[in-house]
Amino acid sequence: MNFLYLVLISLFAGLLVGKYTSYEFGDLALLMLYLLIFIIGLEIGKSRGVKREIKKLGKIALILPLATIIGSLLGGAFASFLLRFPLKWGIAVSAGFGWYSLTGPLLAAFSPIYGVIGFLANLTREIFTIIFYPLVIKRVPKELAVSMGGATTMDSTLPVLVKFGGKEITIIAFIHGFILTAIAPFLISLIAQL
Amino acid sequence: MNIFIPLIVGVVTGYIFREKLKYNLDKPMSATLLFLIFFMGVEAGRVEIKAMSLFVTSIIFAFFTILGSLLFSLLLGGKLR
Repeated sequence: MNFLYLVLISLFAGLLVGKYTSYEFGDLALLMLYLLIFIIGLEIGKSRGVKREIKKLGKIALILPLATIIGSLLGGAFASFLLRFPLKWGIAVSAGFGWYSLTGPLLAAFSPIYGVIGFLANLTREIFTIIFYPLVIKRVPKELAVSMGGATTMDSTLPVLVKFGGKEITIIAFIHGFILTAIAPFLISLIAQL
Repeated sequence: MNIFIPLIVGVVTGYIFREKLKYNLDKPMSATLLFLIFFMGVEAGRVEIKAMSLFVTSIIFAFFTILGSLLFSLLLGGKLR
């Protein structure tokens, strides 16, 4: 069975269990994430030629996060225009780059509605990355498609990107996510206070 | 920044035992990934969405932020490939 189908089944089974049951799994999601990151670390550690990979990345490691920032903010501005949503708050929602647990609470300090949209829009970005990255890389170069995941490419979506894009994109995905994770809190706060 | 700890431990362990770690890590990684996605789904399913319009707004924002990112990554990053 195609692995993508298994991913979708897992995701929807989880959504259904979350929606219709009250089972508590505690921090299992976090534990699984740490385990996966550890396995990815093992792969990097045992593979040869990592230094060569980092050198080869060069400018793309900085250009890709920049492209994600510009693209996300312009995409958010366009969505605001389509929805007749206040431009400032639309851009602030987009500046979360998929980091929903940060964007929601930060924007909720200004308005509960913007907080909910900040949370949901960025959660949806993460889910869309999990579902569509394997499909998008059939058309878009796999290292450039990393931009879909925004700040999440250093943690929650990293395993999906590596699984479908190959372990050679681990480093660019991690650097991309790291830069966006460092920028998002400042950018959201800055936009919200304009 | 807890994410650094398992990553660095993994890299160091993988490097130290690179001669002994001959087996393929693809299967354990796939299994853990499926569990992770399931538990992420559970967390997402717990979020109560009362208004349909909020849901649609979120989807449109997610779609266009992803689309914008992809377009600019192709525009700026495409030349460097």
